[in-house]
Amino acid sequence: MRPRLLLAGFLGLLLIAPRVVSEFHVTLLNYIGLYAIVALGLVLLTGVGGLTSFGQAAFVGLGAYTTAYLSTAQNLPGWCVALGGSPWIGLLAGIVVTTLVAFVLGLLTLRLSGHYLPLGTIAWGISLYFLFGNLEFLGGHTGMSGIPALSLLGFELRESRSFYYVIWAVVLVAVWLTQNLLDSREGRAIRALKGGVVMAEAMGVDTARSKVAVFLIAALFASVSGWLYAHLQRFVNPTPFGLHIGIEYLFMAVVGGSAHVWGALVGAGVITILKQWLQDWLPRLLGASGNFEMIVFGVMMIFVLQRARDGLWPILTRFVPRRAAKRELPHGALLPKKAAPEFGEVLLEAKNVFKRFGGLVANNNMSLTVRAGEVMALIGPNGAGKSTMFNCVSGVDSATEGEVLFRGEVVSALNSREIARLGMSRTFQHVRLLPTMTVLENVAIGGHLRGSKGVLPAMLHLERGEEASLLAEAARQIVRVGLRDSMFELAGSLALGQQRTLEIARALCADPCLLLLDEPAAGLRYLEKEALAELLRKLRGEGMGILLVEHDMDFVMGLADRVVVMEFGEKIAEGLPEEVQCDPAVVEAYLGGVD
Amino acid sequence: MDLQIALLLGQDGITNGAIYALLSLALVLVFTVTRVIFIPQGEFVAFGALTLASFQAGKTPGTLWLLIGAGVAVALVDITLALRSGVFRRIPGIVGWNLAYPALASAIVFLLKPSEFPLLAQIVLALALVVPLGPMLYRLAFQPLAEASVLVLLIVAVAVHLALVGLGLLFFGAEGSRTPAFSDASFDLGLVNVNGQTLWVVGASLLLIVVLGVFFERTIYGKALRATAMNRTGARLMGISTVMAGKLSFLLAALIGAFSGILIAPITTIYYDTGFLIGLKGFVGAIVGGLASYPIAAAGAILVGLLEAFSSFWASAFKEVIVFTLIIPVLVWRSLTTRHVEEDE
Amino acid sequence: MKLNKLVVAAAAAFGALGVQADITVGVTLSATGPAASLGIPEKNTIALLPSTMGGEKVNYIVLDDASDTTTAVKNVRKLISENKVDVIIGSTITPNSLAMIDVVAEAETPTISMAASARIVDPANPKTKWVFKTPQHDQHMATAIAAHMAGGGVKTVAFIGFNDAYGEGWYQEFTKYADTYKLKVVANERYGRADTSVTGQVLKIMAAKPDAVLIAGSGTPAAMPQVTLRERGYEGRFYQTHGVANNDFLRVGGKNVEGTYLPAGPMLVAAQLPDSNPIKKPSLVYISKYEAAYGKGSVATFGGHAWDAGLLLQNAVPAALKKAQPGTREFRAALRDSLEATKDLVGVHGVFNMSPADHLGFDQRARVMVRIDKGAWKLDK
Repeated sequence: MRPRLLLAGFLGLLLIAPRVVSEFHVTLLNYIGLYAIVALGLVLLTGVGGLTSFGQAAFVGLGAYTTAYLSTAQNLPGWCVALGGSPWIGLLAGIVVTTLVAFVLGLLTLRLSGHYLPLGTIAWGISLYFLFGNLEFLGGHTGMSGIPALSLLGFELRESRSFYYVIWAVVLVAVWLTQNLLDSREGRAIRALKGGVVMAEAMGVDTARSKVAVFLIAALFASVSGWLYAHLQRFVNPTPFGLHIGIEYLFMAVVGGSAHVWGALVGAGVITILKQWLQDWLPRLLGASGNFEMIVFGVMMIFVLQRARDGLWPILTRFVPRRAAKRELPHGALLPKKAAPEFGEVLLEAKNVFKRFGGLVANNNMSLTVRAGEVMALIGPNGAGKSTMFNCVSGVDSATEGEVLFRGEVVSALNSREIARLGMSRTFQHVRLLPTMTVLENVAIGGHLRGSKGVLPAMLHLERGEEASLLAEAARQIVRVGLRDSMFELAGSLALGQQRTLEIARALCADPCLLLLDEPAAGLRYLEKEALAELLRKLRGEGMGILLVEHDMDFVMGLADRVVVMEFGEKIAEGLPEEVQCDPAVVEAYLGGVD
Repeated sequence: MDLQIALLLGQDGITNGAIYALLSLALVLVFTVTRVIFIPQGEFVAFGALTLASFQAGKTPGTLWLLIGAGVAVALVDITLALRSGVFRRIPGIVGWNLAYPALASAIVFLLKPSEFPLLAQIVLALALVVPLGPMLYRLAFQPLAEASVLVLLIVAVAVHLALVGLGLLFFGAEGSRTPAFSDASFDLGLVNVNGQTLWVVGASLLLIVVLGVFFERTIYGKALRATAMNRTGARLMGISTVMAGKLSFLLAALIGAFSGILIAPITTIYYDTGFLIGLKGFVGAIVGGLASYPIAAAGAILVGLLEAFSSFWASAFKEVIVFTLIIPVLVWRSLTTRHVEEDE
Repeated sequence: MKLNKLVVAAAAAFGALGVQADITVGVTLSATGPAASLGIPEKNTIALLPSTMGGEKVNYIVLDDASDTTTAVKNVRKLISENKVDVIIGSTITPNSLAMIDVVAEAETPTISMAASARIVDPANPKTKWVFKTPQHDQHMATAIAAHMAGGGVKTVAFIGFNDAYGEGWYQEFTKYADTYKLKVVANERYGRADTSVTGQVLKIMAAKPDAVLIAGSGTPAAMPQVTLRERGYEGRFYQTHGVANNDFLRVGGKNVEGTYLPAGPMLVAAQLPDSNPIKKPSLVYISKYEAAYGKGSVATFGGHAWDAGLLLQNAVPAALKKAQPGTREFRAALRDSLEATKDLVGVHGVFNMSPADHLGFDQRARVMVRIDKGAWKLDK
């Protein structure tokens, strides 16, 4: 209950602030609100999505210039004369313009991977800045004045105190939308962008689409902030939209805590107020001459980040007793299941698969089949090419040559997302999960394809029914694999063996008919292995096909129906477990030859 | 545009590109070794050039105070740590580098008259004041954060940049300076007249690149840096100190930066805030090289220089728009042709 | 009820009589950022302004706006609402000053800008009513240059200016008057203040073969195109704007800026003015004060705009004090009226004769043509 009280207190303070603090502090709060909206977009984009952008100031500029132009232009061209005059039309136009521009820029720059992305944002950030400055109809470098004040229900919001409520209403709505989004199916997909792209794609998440979505949202937040800025300032010129300011927004997000929604507000507040204090106090402390603000500010920020590298918000929350997370099992309507294949139907058929990395042949003419209701084990010494084969089959990587059929359909050319949609689900040899999300949320990513509600319903929380079903399904799978006690813990806090089990639950959450398990028993204790074997037998009994890569011979031999043995990328044996065990080639491969 | 103009623009682009290339090398070096995107790289350009200009104007450069201040700060931090952990034998070294060295530098600046030194001695003295700031900065700002994320390191780099620009304004004022050319020679090559300083810039850049190459290939410290760049943990296990590697990379970055500044000060005017823009262009080169490849970074930097020269001829008001818009397709191409491990943070 | 009113009235009367409020002057200027070379001498000058005016103590509150419009407006709001200033001086550059107009007009606080563009005070309307300025309008200087060019037989001119509000403003003003003087503008180039090379622009200018080149930049960065043009062998005339009028420009430009013409406020060549020129004496007073405080050769004409703002206030305050107490709305209005009524006030940049239609009030005396000769500013007769 305590955090909720704090939130109520915060809202109460916000409400009465303009009545109790001085005029100038209201002005400061207004600026903090404007910055916080942009920083919030950056939290989503950079802190959560892992996409660093230096160019947000340019989007602020787009919003500001669009409304400035429309509300001041004297002779608009005929077709858009109806758009002139009203700030509210300016807001709509700003949103449209920003969406278009951000969409084009996003298509271009989000293709950039790694360090190319931040530079891409710098590039268009600078381009837009100089464009604003050199377009005569936008007032050039000198700027445009005479932008009307905002009016709401007939009231002109000229005063800082009245404008304050508009700004902070927007801030709170933005916070609400962002929090809603993060707490949803789409939100989990976005949270997977940072460090979980391969996994998310394998679970059917269209990560490229998620990237564009966060990019657009962040751009629109920035644009709305720009719209407010233009009508607060009633003057625009290019300087507030340059690269330096873009960097400053990023600064706010990081100092506040870039992975936290409230961090944006803290960052915007701390930096704005700190600068103000320095401006007030430094001249008194150091004498009037010289300009020490920037120097002291820089040095202070270095200290802050050294003490709080995750930003200030996590430190603040340390003083608040954490609300005990909801512990009850989620409830929701059952999700529809795909029709299960017939027992014995051939699910997976790999024919003469080759995979070459340059001169290295990792898979050499590999073939195998998996049927519904059987456990097929793929074994072999380290470096035999088992995981490569796995990646080729599941679409994480593509085979150089050969054909992979899944349920009779050629899937060799499909990517992992499309294959996942067909009913194949997998785990990874090196565990790929999102350590800062709970076990429940991690498993729910597996159910991504079983939901359909998009970003907008998520932001407005109109998808609660579907969300409850997804979480309930995830919870069922967690209980099924035996992780019930850890359901609400952070995935990163689990032991390695449990993390592997989590991956199985996540794969099951997708309602697959074929399960690809890459060394699921590694790191498990004896009893856990027993339980795992029991689970797999049960799944087999339900008609699931299971392809298993494993080192643990006891585990494999006790479980598998058929075994394929690989060495140096080639198949050296295939058959029933007991046959394979006696095969001389296999014995030689494992024991290094018996002379 | 005729051939002569094209050649002149090409010459101009290559001259600037050479400086960007040097800076991009420094940025790649610092990033690979420490994961810091070293935004303040440009400030070393400005500090190097303006320190030299101060000597020539018979003034005491403010960078001397910065050297003393940073030295004292490093000494305080390190001595406290040494005392706390009881490693007293480290103290003489700390005092020597951080207190005695700046004291010696002040003695030279105050007792002798640097304004009467020959140019070469002035350059050496300017470098001697500015370059040690690199490792000191690393010690104070970045070493405590060595394991932090790239984003946090980047933001700290921005903070350092802000502080250094502020100091630059304080030390050198808002107005710029030029220094005399190394040589007044100029060579007539048929269509184009090449002036001596241009050759100096290009030649010295090439020389520095070769020297760095030899340093990385042949010396134990160079190899240690390369090892750290490739695999930090592995290098540490092999007994290479990441702190040493970090300081060394910052030392080299500061050297390259300050030297670049001294090279171009005769052909352009340097201001306290010149560095950011120059550093940014070097950064473009570095990124085109994927923050990993030295030759591609250098080529990217030269490309930026050329783009800039030609676009300032065609549409000078839109120069930055053209340069940075044209960078985007290059980035897309580079991004699509290099294999990336997405999962790495 | 009656008693209450009485008490209030008494209190007001006591307040008025008892505490003689100080005059508070708020200053926002660009002491850092791209315009720092203009803002710093202004800031230095503010420190030299008198501590009493009309017998009242004057407090100065100086804020830096980092050449940024958002900060400038924030500073103004702070000065008005926190510090209750009676008058504002600032800002250094045109965009910042334009952005401040709305705020100061709403708060009815008279403001004296130190930026160049005429747009800050023209056209006269209920908003610009509150705004005055001390630097010559760009058009004063532009016509001076155009006339000088025409007089010197120049037919074609190439323009190169900063890629910012300064360069933009100058291009607009200069092209406006170029026709009048039958000048043809054959090139229009821009460059960045901190660019390391202007070779591209210079080659384009050379290709246009102009009789003269006009460079619109401020401080030392304005030397860059000229140095490059000279190195490339350009032989024509050079014109600079009053933005370069400080000694650093001469230091950096060296021999390459010899023979350059520029229009400037008379204080740049104060010592060379004939004794009959009224501006000579106040200019020399200001220069000696400034150099006594900040060192010989440190004076720049930009500081003169701040000094002139101080002179305007000293002249206007006594009349306003007669009408109302500092710290009140009435005082601000009286001060504004008094500023608008400034007549024949001699500043270091010219003689002010204000009117409701003209919130600068300069005439021909506010500009002289100067030539750079042997590394010094020479009054061009």
